[in-house]
This record gives sequence, C-alpha cells and structure tokens, in this order.
Amino acid sequence: MDINYQFLEQTFYLVLAAVPTTLNLTVTSLLLSLPLAFFMALVRLRRTRYVSGFVGAYITLLRGTPIVLQILLIYSLLPSLLHALVGTLGWTINVFDWNPILYAYLVFTLNTTALLAEVFRSALGSIERGQMEAALCAGLTKVQAYVHILIPQALVTALPNICNVTVNLIKGTSLAFLMTVKDMTAVAKVAASYGYNYIEAYLDVFAGYIIICSIVQVLFVFAESHVGRFRLIKQK
Amino acid sequence: MRPFAPEFILAVIPDLLPYLGVTMAVALGSIVAGSLFGTLLAWAKLSASTLLRRLAVAYTYAIRCTPPIVLLFIVFYGLPKFFLEVFNVNINSYDKIFFVVVSFTLLFAAPVSEVMRSAYQSIDRGQYEAAVSSGLSPWQAFYHIVLPQAAVIGLPNFGNSVLSLLKEGSLAYTVGLVDLIGRGQMIIAHHYGAYAIETYLALALFYLLLTLGVEKSFLQLERRYSRQKHNGEEAGYGY
Amino acid sequence: MLKITNIHKKYKTAEVLKGVDIQVAKGDVVVILGPSGSGKTTLLRCLNFLEHADQGEMEFGADRLQLASASAREIAKVRKKTAFVFQNYNLFQNKTVLENVTAGLILGRGIKRPEAEVIARKALAKVGLSDRETYYPLQLSGGQQQRVGIARAIAVNPDVILFDEPTSALDPELVSEVLAIIKQLAREGTTMVIVTHEMNFAADVATHAIFMAEGNIVEQGSPQDIFLHPQQERTRKFLRRILPQVEYNI
Repeated sequence: MDINYQFLEQTFYLVLAAVPTTLNLTVTSLLLSLPLAFFMALVRLRRTRYVSGFVGAYITLLRGTPIVLQILLIYSLLPSLLHALVGTLGWTINVFDWNPILYAYLVFTLNTTALLAEVFRSALGSIERGQMEAALCAGLTKVQAYVHILIPQALVTALPNICNVTVNLIKGTSLAFLMTVKDMTAVAKVAASYGYNYIEAYLDVFAGYIIICSIVQVLFVFAESHVGRFRLIKQK
Repeated sequence: MRPFAPEFILAVIPDLLPYLGVTMAVALGSIVAGSLFGTLLAWAKLSASTLLRRLAVAYTYAIRCTPPIVLLFIVFYGLPKFFLEVFNVNINSYDKIFFVVVSFTLLFAAPVSEVMRSAYQSIDRGQYEAAVSSGLSPWQAFYHIVLPQAAVIGLPNFGNSVLSLLKEGSLAYTVGLVDLIGRGQMIIAHHYGAYAIETYLALALFYLLLTLGVEKSFLQLERRYSRQKHNGEEAGYGY
Repeated sequence: MLKITNIHKKYKTAEVLKGVDIQVAKGDVVVILGPSGSGKTTLLRCLNFLEHADQGEMEFGADRLQLASASAREIAKVRKKTAFVFQNYNLFQNKTVLENVTAGLILGRGIKRPEAEVIARKALAKVGLSDRETYYPLQLSGGQQQRVGIARAIAVNPDVILFDEPTSALDPELVSEVLAIIKQLAREGTTMVIVTHEMNFAADVATHAIFMAEGNIVEQGSPQDIFLHPQQERTRKFLRRILPQVEYNI
C-alpha cells in the first residue's frame, strides 16, 4: 500500500511530543477523581438519606451519556457561564484566556469519578462485614480499620477494574481536541490536514496509544501482584 | 450571554427524533456484524492453531488500546485507500454510514469475543462429557447443553458491551454522519451557535433514555434466563 | 461381550496404563479397586473415549476397533451402547430432571419425545424420583442428583453402564440410597463396570473384582478371592489400609 514513510516517521515524533499532554490529562483526572469516588462509594454503601440518591443520580447521568456529549456540553456551557459570573462579581479576569486544559480536567474528572465510584462501591461492598467488626473489637478506630484492613483488601479486587477505567480514560482523552487541547489525537489531526496524509498520521497515533496503554497495563500488573501478596496462597 | 431557554430543549426534540433511527441503525448494524465477527474471533482464540489464537488475541489487544475516534478515522480515511490500491475498487462514494458501521463492527467484535470466550470456558467440561456419554454428537452437546449455559453467563457482560457501543456510536458525527448528534450540530449551526446548551441537553436526554432502556431490557433478560438458578435458591435444595 | 486388550495411556511423561486387559461378560458386575493414581478412572474413561488411549484393542459385541485410531463414527457407536455415571453427576444444569433423562434418547438416538418421556419416567420411577421431574439439578441434593444420573444411564438401555466412583462426592448419609439402586440393578442382571472405594458395597455386588496399582492389574478374580484370600502382597497392603477389620457379606 502506498504509504508516505517519511511522513509516517516525522509525524510519529510529533505524536510522541504530545504524549506528555495525554498523560497529564490522564494522571490529573485520575488523581482528582480517586478521593471523590471513594467518598461517593462510601455514601452509596451507607445509603445516607438524600445524599445517596443524589450521588446515584449523578453516577447514572454520567455513565448513561456519551463522554463526547459531556465534553460538548461543558465546553459550550462553562466558558460563557464563568464569563458571566466573573462579570457580575466585577473581577477583571478574561475567562476566555484560560488554558482550555482546565475544562478538560473538569470533564474527565467528573466522568472518571462516576466510573470509579461504582468500582469502589462493588469492591468495598464485597469485603465481609466481619472484617470491620473484628477491627473495631481489636480497638481500631473506623478510620484505622479502613486504612489498614478494608482498603488493602478492596484494592485487590478493585485494581483490575481501575486498570480498565484508566485505559478507558486514556482513550477518552483522545477527544480533548474538541476543547482545543493539543493532545496526541489533536496533533495527528493537524499533521494529517497539512499534506492530506491522513492514514499515516492516524496510524502513528494508533501506535502511540497502543504503546501507552501497554505500559500502563504492565504497571498495573506490577501493582496487582504487589498488592495481592497476601492472596498468593489462596489462589487456586 | 444569551439567556438559557429551557423550552428550547423540548422544542428541538421533534427535530431530532427522526435521526434517532440513524443512531439506532448504526448501533444495531454494528452489534449484529460485530457479534458475528466476535464469534469468529472467539472461535479462533479457542482453536488448536497457535497462529489463529495469537492473531485473535493480538487483534483484541490492539482494539482494546485504541480510542474509538482514532479507529473511526483510520477506517474512514484508510479503507477507501486500501480498497483502491489492493482491489482497485473505488468506495469513496459509499455513504458515510458504511464506514461508521464497519468501524464500530471492528470495535465491538473485540470485547464481545472476550465475553464469549470467557463464558464458554467457564462451563464445566463435565457437561460436555456427560452429553457425549449420553450419545449426543459433539455438535449436539455444544448446541443443546454448553451453548445455552454459556449464553446465560455471558449475558450481563454482553449487555455492558452493548451499552458502551451505544455511547461510542455518538462519535459518528465527527466524520460527518447525520445521526442524533450530527443533526444537533446542524441545528446549532443553523442558529449561529445559539441554543447549543439546550440542544446538547436534549441529546443527553435521548441518550439517557436509550441507555436506561437497554440496561433495563438486559436486566429483564438476565432475570428470565437465570430462572433455573433462582429456583434453586428459593426452593432451598428440596431434600 | 466387551473386551479390551493391551491398553496403554501416557500423560506427558508418566505412563498411567501399562498394558491392561479387561473382559466383561453380559450380566457381570466388574468392580475396579485401587489407590489413587492407579489408573482405574483413566481405564474407565478410555472405555467410552472420554480419554483416548495410546494403544489397545477393543472388542465390543460384534465390533472390533483399535483404541488409538478409532474414528468418530466408531466412537459414537460405542457411546450409544454404553452409559456413564460421573463422580460429580454432571447433570445438564440447564435442563429439568426429565429433560436430563430424555436428552440422550431424543437427541442422541432420535427417539420421539412422547416415547422418550415414557422411557424416562420408567427410569425415574426405578430410582425413586418420579416426583422431581420438573426440578432443576441445583434444587436437588447430591444423592438425588446422582440418582438422576443413574436414571439417565439406564434410560438408554445400554449394553454396559460405567460408574466412576459414583458415591465419592456424596455426604455419608446420602451414599446408601445410591448404592441401594446400584445393588438393585445388579440383582436384575445389568452389566456394569464400577470404580469405587466402597469396599463393603464392592464385595457385596461384584461378580468380578480387579485390583489395580500403578497402571497395572495386580490381581483379579471373584470377590472371595480378592477380599478374603488376596494372593499378592500389594493387594493385602491396600486392603489392610482401607479396612483394618471388616466383615464382608459375600
């Protein structure tokens, strides 16, 4: 097949240069959503009266709509909303000067929080009640029980799913170009339109994502074997 | 800033409704074709040939790491070029929906093949052995005994894959297909950028109803077909 | 009626069956005993090709075939003349009790449903489970499930029924109900090959006993010979270990 190999190579370096942006988006959103998702999971497990319902609705909304729609909504809503807000407060900040990556952080964090909340809920829920009871009887506070007993066990169940969510997040960041963020896909699109070398550019970015996802999955395998040490004997 | 007009959300729904058909057509086409291709992949993963197994696993892995939009672009731009140079057939004039369905078929087949493979492998070999010991042919044993049980096990995960596909299908507008979101973009452009939020909210409503509907349907199916297991728990092993 | 000569089977590097001969006449109840790893289950599973022997010859009624190179057709034929009762029952989870028993008749032998159901009901009556026809396997106790497994085997009217440790997976109090049925079948002259650990039962029901160890037949003969007058030291060691004091009713 007729492929412009020179272009293929050049664009690959361009794509690589954009990898930090993609990773930036992924890691930031993931780190921000972890604590939020954890508390949401706790709320859902405790079934606190109104909050639990609200959280449930939030999760349903974010899981039931495509992420592209969430991006389009936030990106069309937020800048103007913030601008109006800033105007009424009398500040002289120009909202439209802000780095669009902030909106990207927001969308991906909101979305990932919903997904992780479900993962944590099922992982924490699968730990026997007896574990908490035994911890309390041994004199631990609830917080200590969570930190030393429950979370480590839940983590083993949750890690494969967290890996899934992370891989999906990486793929989700490919839509950041809709918010004018210069991630890998954005770079590929721009490079493609220069010389109409579409297929070369997209093959490059395809390879780029495979490399990143593979590295991430390897990292998770390490994490899983480390965290699951106490399970090794129980395996079969 | 233009004031928010909630009544527009309702007003735009009749305009969007006809295009629901396009979205559903893409989804259904991809699900059916993707399931067929996925069955082939699952069969390859279980086959005795190492080459077939490796190819199928590699395919699944590659697709799993690929953002749907990248795959969409690769198919949209790459397939015509491929067909032109390899088969000397010009498919540039094909309707966009063709490329969209091909792309999502390739996308859907990967997770579906995993669902099928793992469901099949979770069935105890003893079921097959008992069947052939009773005189059933290997095919009969598979079709009447193993397959029904595997289908019940795979159903929830298959449902999850369908839900994912529905949401990923929303990307079709990026290559110009006029489905729900595509039409929504047209409406927004028609009003010079006004009413964007209202239109997107209406679209969100559509998708929410769609995903909730599909989710409920699968739950019903699961409930109906694992009746046998539930019977056991209710009757309490009637000693 | 059924004769196997010189059967060999290897798993990777270990030889599990080292040239075993076995003969079953009509009406025989052949019991195979031995420690685990002796190859007795493998031998049984080779008889209906759940495992494929590396070498050996089978004479089954008027048919003669090579075990290592048997065609799919020959295998299907053998399976239609035999029935297998599994240690963990292997009832079809997605079928009711009645459907479990009729599956082999309707699908395997092309018998029409009404006729198959009559046959199945007779078999179920014989094992005492007529009132559980519409139940699913998960709703039954282990003993009941195994009885359905036996009904499934007798319904197809085989020339020989193969039993692979039929009571090993059962709770002790459920063992006797299953053994009682097998004893009844023996009294009626059903040809059976049974691998079992239940010594009293074996002594009671067998017309011929085989003791295997490490892939070979160590000793075989009538129950009296094996249980009361074992010739080989290996046999004696095994019997001593299993039953320090025993009263056989032969």
